[in-house]
Amino acid sequence: MIDLVNPFALPFMARALVTLLVLAVAAGTVGVIVNLRRLEFMSDGLTHAVFPGLVIGFIAAGSPGLLPGALVAALISAVLLSLLSRRSGDQNVIAIVLTSFFSLGIVVVSTMDGYSGQLTEMLFGRLLSVTDAQAVITAVLVAAAVLLVALTWRKQVFRAFDRSGSAAAGIRTTWLDIAANGAVAMFVVAAAAAVGTLLVLAVLIVPAASARLLTRTIAPAVVVATVIAALGSWLGLSLSWHLSIELDVQAAPGATVALTLVALYALAVVASLLLSKIRRVR
Amino acid sequence: MTGVTFEVQAGEAVALIGPNGAGKSTLLQALLGQLKHTAKRFEVPTGAGQIGLLPQRQSVTEDFPVTLQQVVTMGRIPHRGILWPSRDDRSGVQRALEEVGLWNLRKRRFGELSGGQRQRGLLARALASDPKLMLLDEPFNGLDAPSREQLIAIVRRLKARGVGFLITTHDIDLARQVTERTLLLNQKQIDFDETECALTLEQVQRVFDHHAVEIDGHTLATAEHHNEMHHGDVHGRPEDPEAP
Repeated sequence: MIDLVNPFALPFMARALVTLLVLAVAAGTVGVIVNLRRLEFMSDGLTHAVFPGLVIGFIAAGSPGLLPGALVAALISAVLLSLLSRRSGDQNVIAIVLTSFFSLGIVVVSTMDGYSGQLTEMLFGRLLSVTDAQAVITAVLVAAAVLLVALTWRKQVFRAFDRSGSAAAGIRTTWLDIAANGAVAMFVVAAAAAVGTLLVLAVLIVPAASARLLTRTIAPAVVVATVIAALGSWLGLSLSWHLSIELDVQAAPGATVALTLVALYALAVVASLLLSKIRRVR
Repeated sequence: MTGVTFEVQAGEAVALIGPNGAGKSTLLQALLGQLKHTAKRFEVPTGAGQIGLLPQRQSVTEDFPVTLQQVVTMGRIPHRGILWPSRDDRSGVQRALEEVGLWNLRKRRFGELSGGQRQRGLLARALASDPKLMLLDEPFNGLDAPSREQLIAIVRRLKARGVGFLITTHDIDLARQVTERTLLLNQKQIDFDETECALTLEQVQRVFDHHAVEIDGHTLATAEHHNEMHHGDVHGRPEDPEAP
């Protein structure tokens, strides 16, 4: 039986769980807006754009340089992507920004000695070596991201529902886009140290997508997405602990959490199919 | 697009008729302040929410997780900004929903409503901001006959209360049922006149020249009828000095 309680008596496991639970709050709010506004690809672009920031920050100041570097890169690219995609109105721009930033990061990191180890860390995070300071920064960034989304919530929903209607109502879309992308950027930075840039999307997108399947309106979706993200984090961490301690299989904790979230999504798909069957019968 | 001169009076409906690519959407966007223009005279209501838009149907995400009431509440955002709805907002939403006869369905998910109900719901959203001018973009597209009738009845009621309407449509018949005046457009202004006079067979043929648009022929005024009404004067020719 997988132990769901005792592993978290260890400080490094507790810190990992707390970090993920903090991220779960953003998964429920920022994630739902990403889902409604279909910003998944934009978010993917931001995760890649953050990467060279991590690398340059690390080269400039070692580990303490990671977060400031990522934050600068994320905010620059959030504004850049908002303005560019507004101009051209298509997703090619995102793909081009995404790949160019990512390549830049790889080129810079490949000039360093022993880069493959550092590369792995930046791509996949170090969930079990999150420090107290990092956990605090994560919490601050998540709070800022949630605040940004909360303040623009009704307008974001309006714009997601009906772009021309919201523009007609005088909603300034440029600022709204920068707010949404800025919130995603801060979330990406907050999560990058813990789960790595590549797995950020798992926490941001998968719980909200699951919640969308299970709920009919937005407010319950926020709650359900948060709960799913928290549950997946807890189960995933426990599973990873169980695998490595009991079965001696060294499973990367970040990726195990991501897979657990995907498994919960699969359950949500099944549940939503059953729900719609029941509704049809009634 | 140049040389367009028209006005919409309070309580009046003006039809905006032209083929695809005639500049109807461009004109609506300009009225909404979303496009730069070089009009010599340009007066629109500028207060918060004073222009309401009923967008084309395909611009709305139909499986979006919101109730009808939540959709209509969006119409109050110009008044409220980031704040949550007040009692005023809620009663405004209720009035708008009752206006279109959908108060009973307010808890229904928007995507589960019929096409006609959605259209009336979006109309209620535009009404919720207490507009002076309503822009209806192809409001009758894809609606069945009863839904059309309901929409027409609502427009008539609102006109009686002083709301002005600008309605883009392909449907000549509907234009004649609900509008007093018609702006015929095809890159430039073809005519702006009382609907009966603007929609003559020859003018409509000119506007829709080379465009595959179904026109219900027998509902059109004939050229003779037009001449009778105007005692033979030539209205709305491109060389007409009245249409700059």
